[in-house]
Amino acid sequence: MSQTAGHSDQIRPSRAVPLDRLIVMSNQIADFFSPYPPARRAEGIRNHLRTYWDPRMRQDLIDYISSGGAGVSPYIVEGVRLLTSGEDKKGYYGPPKA
Amino acid sequence: MANPIKPDKQVVTTCAYCGVGCGFKAETHQGRIVRMIPWKEGKANHGHSCIKGRFAYDYYVSDDRVTTPLIRKSIDDPWTPVSWETAIQHAASELRRVQAKYGAKSVGAVSSSRCTNEEIFLVQKLARAVMGNNNIDNCARICHSPTQFGLSATVGWGAASQHFDSIMQADVIMVVGANPTEGHPVFGSLMKRRLRQGAKLIVIDPRRTETVQSPHIRADVHLNLRPGTNVAVLDSIAHVVVREKLYNEAFVRERCEFDEFERWAAFVASDRYSPDVVGPEAGLDPDLIRKAARLYASGPNSAIYYGLGVTEHSQGSTGVMCLGNLSLACGMLGREGVGVNPLRGQGNVQGGSCLGSWPHVFSGYRFVTDDEVRSSFEQDWGVALDPEPGLRLPNMFDAAIAGNFRGMYIMGEDPVQSDPNQSHIIEAMRQMECVVIQDLFLNETSKYAHVFLPGSSSLEKDGSFTSAERRVNRVRKVVEPLAGYQDWEIVVMLMNAMGYPAKYAHAGEILDEIARLSPAYKGISFELLDRIGSAQWPCDENAPTGTEVLHREKFPRANGRGTFMLTEYVPTAERTNDKFPLLLTTGRILTQYNVGTQTRRTENNRWHSEDVLEISEHDARTRGIRDGDRVKVSSRFGSTELKAKYSERVGSGIVYTTFHHAETRINVVTSDLSDWATNCPEYKVTAVEVTKVAAEGAQKRAKSKTREEAVTA
Repeated sequence: MSQTAGHSDQIRPSRAVPLDRLIVMSNQIADFFSPYPPARRAEGIRNHLRTYWDPRMRQDLIDYISSGGAGVSPYIVEGVRLLTSGEDKKGYYGPPKA
Repeated sequence: MANPIKPDKQVVTTCAYCGVGCGFKAETHQGRIVRMIPWKEGKANHGHSCIKGRFAYDYYVSDDRVTTPLIRKSIDDPWTPVSWETAIQHAASELRRVQAKYGAKSVGAVSSSRCTNEEIFLVQKLARAVMGNNNIDNCARICHSPTQFGLSATVGWGAASQHFDSIMQADVIMVVGANPTEGHPVFGSLMKRRLRQGAKLIVIDPRRTETVQSPHIRADVHLNLRPGTNVAVLDSIAHVVVREKLYNEAFVRERCEFDEFERWAAFVASDRYSPDVVGPEAGLDPDLIRKAARLYASGPNSAIYYGLGVTEHSQGSTGVMCLGNLSLACGMLGREGVGVNPLRGQGNVQGGSCLGSWPHVFSGYRFVTDDEVRSSFEQDWGVALDPEPGLRLPNMFDAAIAGNFRGMYIMGEDPVQSDPNQSHIIEAMRQMECVVIQDLFLNETSKYAHVFLPGSSSLEKDGSFTSAERRVNRVRKVVEPLAGYQDWEIVVMLMNAMGYPAKYAHAGEILDEIARLSPAYKGISFELLDRIGSAQWPCDENAPTGTEVLHREKFPRANGRGTFMLTEYVPTAERTNDKFPLLLTTGRILTQYNVGTQTRRTENNRWHSEDVLEISEHDARTRGIRDGDRVKVSSRFGSTELKAKYSERVGSGIVYTTFHHAETRINVVTSDLSDWATNCPEYKVTAVEVTKVAAEGAQKRAKSKTREEAVTA
């Protein structure tokens, strides 16, 4: 878990924003949603990433998590799972809510 | 003294210097402005004005104005003056070349809150319809983006709930992270008037600002919290409101989602938000937190006014949500004298927010991801639009460094000076193959530009601004544009040269398009504004002359109810330590405007000719610093030099400066941390050390180190 994302050899070049920046940003999002119950927390994170993040940033995060996701909050992993599980189609694309 | 020049023409227009939006009669003599007279019919200022709007207009004839388009192949080459046609063609073909080489999403656009609504809307259209992506942002990203996010999450609209005059019905005024007497002077005077009539005042600000204590004013409670502890303190105020049952249960039951209220109440009632816990962390007497909570909840009319001291934090959006929660819980919304009101810095920050210069929403805060909304724009604009959000301004810079972003069109902004962590931004700008800047003056950012399009000041164009009270005011052309074109005309030329047919006979036609595509602006037109002076949105068939107070019967959310967000306090990663033991916070001064591009070029500069570092005498003396000494301010990111000034406004452990002068380069020092939701930079908290500069060093001009040098130092 101590590996710094941006310096890993296995990581492909980012599509938009450097990976270490994405990890910091996503962990801050996890901190915000942390007081919510698990289901709403995951949905809130999914909604936020879906509505506010450039798709290339989302895809880089998804890829990084599937390659191990060192340093990414487990809450983000739960939210990203909703993004990729197909439930994204029913996702909420509106003003911020948890 | 009598004015020796007799004006021959008078034009009513709107001041661009802050979010108050004062009306002025601009008087000219033989085509040159000779006086700005505050307009009595102006609904925001009622004939009042400040020192900027009244006197700082001469910048428009400054010798520094660029009046000919400029191009160059490389940023190391000198500029070559060219014709408008050559410059526009060059900009268009270069942006298209970059897109062909690196992909459609490798370019983007940035607009400014100094631009009119019409220009901001057009720059959005340039990115979405012409460049074909949603890489469009505006400078509200770095000031009030958390307002849009935090208020829309709780009360539905990211805008002030009140009109300015509403404050005259307020019994308790709570000012959070704002200093209206300096930043929004005409509104500050109105607030003082109400305070002199006996309204109570709570100020939450690390500095003992003029709003806290000045002639005729003394805050009843001043919470001089440690920078970065806003959310803890606001949650603690909510804790007292809930524990002592000071909330307005009838309002919450009738107007809000009650189950969300209960969840929130249980959350803030936790012992970790008790004043006895939060007080020591925030450097406050716990009883003062209790006093503030009781005073705010007691009203009967309590109004919140807040500024960048709330938003420019890594928890900026959370801080705004705290204010939304608090006002809902205490029933302080939906009538005169109450509300939650962001004080906007620049003249058209509200318009910048409303009109779609964001990567995720079109004008009217409607999501690009929403198929129905997007198709209405596709039909009107006649092109297919990107269904995915684009890059935010800080992410554009990140992407440039990562090699994925290579071209930019920037209107009226100077990100190299105004954005945080300057070394990072310069590194990003150096990666660009085509930067097109449209501005009045060459600036810090134009050092990295390839095309310079000379723009027009707000005195040289037609359009509208939307002020902090949601008031759409007319901007009228007082004098002819010095470089030949109004800014919106230049954008239209660029759109055409890039292959998109755009045609408007005058700026009013752009406003008509805005009205067609943005529900809150539906009823607004030049005709209406010329007829009734101004109108606050929402303005439509239900409110043909606009709306002064929002949320009277319901909140603009799907179920019409306000809601509560859980606002956990997460301390910023920016911490003081032995090496950087002081916290630097930044702000503004009355006589200057923003990065000073305009006001520094007027006589106003005599009042504030340099930025100084306010430091407590205790902190200064322990470092051997005397009042007036030149000092070096260093952070993890870089360092700069300026003059120290002993100040009783800042407590021990805190230093403060303004950012009006480019040579101060204070953003070399500020951090790369940003708001979790919007990436609004954390300007208000940077851990620094201050050291005295040796005598010979003081002779030299302030010289800044790069990040690498600072790290090894």
